[in-house]
Amino acid sequence: MLSALRQILTISKWEVRRSATTMPREVIPVAAALFILLILVTGFTQESGIHLQDRMYTAGVDSADTGAIILGDPRFTVYLGTAGETDLTISPPNIRAADTDRGGAALKAFQTDYTHYLTAQYNREDDLFAAYPLWIDLQYVKSELDFTATEAGTGVSSAPDPFRNPTPDRPVKAVPEPAKEIGYTREELRAGLVGSEGEDRTVSRYTDVIAGEGALGDFKTPSQLTPPLPFDVIVLVFVFIFPLYFTSQFYMMSVMNERIERRGEILLSSPLRPSAIVLGKMLPYLVVMIAVTTILSLTTGKTLIVLAVIFPVILFFLAAALLIGMAARSFKELSFISIFFSTVATSYLFFPSIFANIHVISLISPLTLIIYAVEGTAFTLADYFYSTFLFWVTAGILFAICIANFNEERLFTLHPLRDKVREYIASAISEKHPFASLFGITLFSIPFVLMAQLMLLVLLFNIPMPFSLVVLTFAAAFIEEWAKSIGIYAIAVERPAFLTWRNVILASLAVMAGFLLGEKLLLFATLAQISESLFGAALFTSLQVIWMPLSLHFAGAFITISLIKIFGKRVYPIALVIASLVHGVYNLYFITGGF
Amino acid sequence: MNFRHVYIITKKELGAINAEKTIILAILLQLFIAMFSSFLIVGLAGMYDPDALSDYSRQKYPVAYTGSPSPLEEMLQESGDFVVYKMDLGTAVTALEERKLSGVVWVPDTASDADQPVKITLYTIKNDIQSSVVNNKLRDVFVAYEENLRDIRGDRISSDPIVVNLPAEIPGTNFYEFVYGLLIPLLIFMPAIISAALIIDMITEEFQHDTIETLISTPVTFSEMIWGKVSACFVIVPVQAVIWIALMVVNGIAVAGIVPILLHVSVASLLMILFSTFVALHYRERTSAQFIFSTAVVVVLIGVLSLPANPANLIVLLSIGAVGSEHWLVLAIMTGVLALCMVALNRYTHLVEKTALQ
Repeated sequence: MLSALRQILTISKWEVRRSATTMPREVIPVAAALFILLILVTGFTQESGIHLQDRMYTAGVDSADTGAIILGDPRFTVYLGTAGETDLTISPPNIRAADTDRGGAALKAFQTDYTHYLTAQYNREDDLFAAYPLWIDLQYVKSELDFTATEAGTGVSSAPDPFRNPTPDRPVKAVPEPAKEIGYTREELRAGLVGSEGEDRTVSRYTDVIAGEGALGDFKTPSQLTPPLPFDVIVLVFVFIFPLYFTSQFYMMSVMNERIERRGEILLSSPLRPSAIVLGKMLPYLVVMIAVTTILSLTTGKTLIVLAVIFPVILFFLAAALLIGMAARSFKELSFISIFFSTVATSYLFFPSIFANIHVISLISPLTLIIYAVEGTAFTLADYFYSTFLFWVTAGILFAICIANFNEERLFTLHPLRDKVREYIASAISEKHPFASLFGITLFSIPFVLMAQLMLLVLLFNIPMPFSLVVLTFAAAFIEEWAKSIGIYAIAVERPAFLTWRNVILASLAVMAGFLLGEKLLLFATLAQISESLFGAALFTSLQVIWMPLSLHFAGAFITISLIKIFGKRVYPIALVIASLVHGVYNLYFITGGF
Repeated sequence: MNFRHVYIITKKELGAINAEKTIILAILLQLFIAMFSSFLIVGLAGMYDPDALSDYSRQKYPVAYTGSPSPLEEMLQESGDFVVYKMDLGTAVTALEERKLSGVVWVPDTASDADQPVKITLYTIKNDIQSSVVNNKLRDVFVAYEENLRDIRGDRISSDPIVVNLPAEIPGTNFYEFVYGLLIPLLIFMPAIISAALIIDMITEEFQHDTIETLISTPVTFSEMIWGKVSACFVIVPVQAVIWIALMVVNGIAVAGIVPILLHVSVASLLMILFSTFVALHYRERTSAQFIFSTAVVVVLIGVLSLPANPANLIVLLSIGAVGSEHWLVLAIMTGVLALCMVALNRYTHLVEKTALQ
């Protein structure tokens, strides 16, 4: 144990010394200069704004006073006089838009500006309660519904009966009558209203339905009654992820460098264990990432929470960097895979957190926890477990795969990415116990399957509802079938003779058992929250009655493998599609409760 | 310079890009980013926009009305989005917790023309998509009620804002600004950034794998090789831009000024590629070069976007056909800068060849 630790430290020292000596001397000062420049430029941008949509529309106005409504909006070029050909012609109380898409968009833009104008007028009214006679006090209650009903596929509620009041099943609890007094003075409310005027309009411009942070917490005027988009906080969160991505690039490159001209051969021939080499090389970058996160989190004040949340993400980034560095054939491939990976990973982290105050799905991203921490919303240990669990597990599995493959054969051969991945998987299959290995591979593929499926969930929000459910069902089925068959495919390529009919059936059984066990484990561990929604039902319907999913998972794997056996490994993609069609139809059948 | 040699190198590099499928990854990446940005805008807005959601089912939501009677009760019923139940507060909130209701409204007995405002309490389920939709529909009713109350208290309002009668509904223009003002410039400039990163890999790889000596021992000179790589990276930019524009047009998004857009993109992307070639030739090592380049790109992008009439803004204006002839001036200036950079790069390659490779 001690010697293992010493080995890691030795490698770390080498790594630090190497990067300190090989990096050209002027990189650090240039980077520092660029960083200062970045701060300056950002400052300048905040002053002058982003000029991306300037002068998109033209507007003719009848007087300077009318023009003042939109003069502050850079999207408009304003002309005095209403005779010209413009997108908008404004002579109060009339307004006319050109009969084009642009005219309509200009009208929409004007609408937002006009609302801002009115708000600014009312906010300065002497009798504030005449201008704002209605205030809404939002009170949140916790849903007490038992969601097993949704899981069984009966979640879609029927139309409400207008003639009979709904009656609760549980005893009615006493709710104190809210006070009719407002509890704030006029000037307190006015300060809140005026404060929300100055919000950045470049964001709300795209979609005016998202209001800014309310005047005074949950106390709002009717027009403020939309869930706030925690935009500032989300930007802050982005600040945490970017340095991680940058630093993991260095680790990736350091691994890649060992492979150029077989430079790492010396290291491999030393008595050092592969795990010591991998971890030792990683340690300096890990330390840097933790240090950067700590420094950045000082601005938010919740250093410990932020660190606890970011740490599994750091591990995940490093594990992926290691794998990419070990698998890429050239710098170009390295660049693209890493950019692709980081885009996908960033979106996985970033986009769910937008829903931080809207939907539980946001909890699949650890960043949501940071938003909660910054906002002061409490979250439980279960929430932490739920949103970081997949990162811990996938990082662990990736490290295990990489350490097992950290040898000359894998490092110094240049195979296309697809073959490389297959080789990595094949390395996990033991000759003696192929079925046990298949069971294990399927079991460990589940966290990745889940990540991909959750990603789909976010992506498919775009599409209108019934269609998105169908696409989601089949895409999710495809991912599952892929994960289930990948181990067998790896065997089929290396040892075609393995595929006897007896073995095909045994392999399908092994895969079935592995997948079901993994799915069940994950469900119990984390998924209670997601599976509550209708979308969750689309992903996890196969979990209801034990024998049906068993036969489904068996059938899916069996279809793929037997097609490969009959027609050869070339039909693998087609076999996958067929298996996922069967799987998808089954799931759809259960979601809709029989067509 | 022998252009045949440049052409051979270009062809070789394009072949390598094709063989490694990097170009496919690059296009996938762009598609992914486009999908996600549209998710951010369209999906998000669609979620809040009741019309977008209720397209396929016109659902009525059950809400409870509690407290004192007021015109609001009737307004809720007339809106057509709600089934309104008159209930007592405790029962209503308990039913809400069991999701038998979508919201509970409590109204106090404050008079319409009272000195104090009317404070309505709205009970709702937190972190719930349906609640967001319901709240949004309730908002419309509340805003109408606010207008009513404001009229009743009108004699106490002193300001006299300009009144503009906006049409009640503006059809089909929700995402105009997103598509033209964000998606098009994003998609069109992404290939440029990708190509600029690509050239760094191509050049540093030759240095770090020590293949550079083999290469220049052939009849191809060092500077011909660099220009060959530059043109390989450059050629794929307008091609991708054309693909994106074609996709837009196929999807019914009319794009005006395609030729000037392509000219702007070509000049801007070649400038970026030349810049990263300088960086690559200077460091001759991938880690440093990519690091410096990507930091610099962020600085340059933010800087350029904060200038009026920047190329991205011009592309927005060109695509909606709202630009004057001033964009030709910007293009001319950019082309001038580009020419200077090309001369400088040519000099620099000779310098590198003499100092570093002898």
